[in-house]
Amino acid sequence: MAKEKGHTKKNFLKGILIENPLFVSVLGTCPALATTKTIEAAIGMGLLFTIVLICSNVLVSLLRKLIPEEIKTPAYIVIIATFVTIVKMLTNAFLPALYSTLGVFISLIVVNCIVLGRAEAYASKNGVFDSFIDACGMGLGYTLALISMALFREILGSGMITFGEIFTFIPLTRIPILTYMKSDYTVVYDYSISLFSTPVGAFIVFAFILGVMAFIKNRKNELKTYQERQEKLRKAAEAKAASMQGGNQQ
Amino acid sequence: MKEILTFVLAIVSAMLIDNVVLSRFYGICPFLGVSKKVKSALGMGIAVVFVIVLATVICWPLYNYILVPAGIEFMDTVAYILVIASLVQLVGLFIKKHSPSLYKTLGIYLPLITTNCAVLGVAQGNTDQALSFIDSLANGLGTSLGFLFVIVVFSCIRVRLESANTPKALKGLPIALITAAIMAMAFMGLQGLFSGIV
Amino acid sequence: MPKEGYLVLAISILVALVIVFVVSFVLYKRTPVPKGCENLKVNEENCSMCGHEECPHYVKKEEEK
Repeated sequence: MAKEKGHTKKNFLKGILIENPLFVSVLGTCPALATTKTIEAAIGMGLLFTIVLICSNVLVSLLRKLIPEEIKTPAYIVIIATFVTIVKMLTNAFLPALYSTLGVFISLIVVNCIVLGRAEAYASKNGVFDSFIDACGMGLGYTLALISMALFREILGSGMITFGEIFTFIPLTRIPILTYMKSDYTVVYDYSISLFSTPVGAFIVFAFILGVMAFIKNRKNELKTYQERQEKLRKAAEAKAASMQGGNQQ
Repeated sequence: MKEILTFVLAIVSAMLIDNVVLSRFYGICPFLGVSKKVKSALGMGIAVVFVIVLATVICWPLYNYILVPAGIEFMDTVAYILVIASLVQLVGLFIKKHSPSLYKTLGIYLPLITTNCAVLGVAQGNTDQALSFIDSLANGLGTSLGFLFVIVVFSCIRVRLESANTPKALKGLPIALITAAIMAMAFMGLQGLFSGIV
Repeated sequence: MPKEGYLVLAISILVALVIVFVVSFVLYKRTPVPKGCENLKVNEENCSMCGHEECPHYVKKEEEK
């Protein structure tokens, strides 16, 4: 099958911005609100999500000719649940801190609309490589969306960025932003708004990110209609000028 | 007597203090998606209550009497999603065949419940916290009633919001999320309600 | 009962669950929609924000663009 040049790149990039699962399609909102209290948790959630998405997309794509059309959805649910179980057990074994932070939300990847949605809408119709790229793009897009939410929430909520609490293999570092700390991490002053680390902050941050997206979209649309109108006026004027000229010639 | 009090307190605490949508973040998708009209919110909420209670009643014995003795506790997620999905399909099948009037109100919401995090979240949460059967039941009932309560209240607010003059960029989902944030703030005020009793 | 017995029981129950799920899924799809509910549709405004692609009334987001 011949494909246009740059198809793979486009396929990969679409998940990050144009079809971002969280900010554009507004899917998978539950983990997005629950696990974005800290950047590390967001990275962990995004990572596990991406692994499950890639595995399920590849397997669904491999089996797409074997699964009868009628029992597609049940088959996908079983495939996804299996991978989630595997990922859950691996997390429990190798990153216990991440396991206890995310808690039930690792299991809830099963009912995440994005995974099932990608399996049905993309992997069941496309080849293995395309599905793999699609899953990578979507997973990265979701992870970046989670991180951008967590960035606001962690900085505003705790006043600093902490690394090494969940991914225990990196040394514990705290980067103060709204706080001032001595070298032994005793806080001298603290201008953080702890509301942002509560559920309220999650809703507010998500609302304003969606609002900004809508604002940019509105501006683009307005600009487009404005340009179209200008173009139309210019064409009309040209046509008028041409007809005038034609009239003069006659 | 004390057992009954504990049961009721557990229900109320799961319903209001640790609300499923506003503090545990389960079931945000239907919360935002099916709350534009009070009637549809009520239908969705009732369907969720029904499925969550049934799923809790089935999943607890399944885990404790079958998966644990067999030593395959790790299969819990797979077993739960299978139970929930078949439950939703069976209930849907029953309604479709025998009760057209109920199908008219609940039919379109049933397929959405399988992917509602709240159902799997409750079943999995009961397992992870190793709750007893009665506690699981209280948790399931309280969670689902909390969902029903919040989604109905939220839809009532959103009906009013439709006619409000919101900034263009915040129209629709963003203003709904801000409303949810204010609701969450109100629910935060209930924390510690029972700290003196239990 | 020995542990192996429980294991066999558990696996057979899991398999049974899969079968129940698949059968009920297929039956649900094949059952005709009851009378009076044929054009049961949620208003577009009601559905436009919902993200469930499984929903028969799901409005595709791409169409908006």
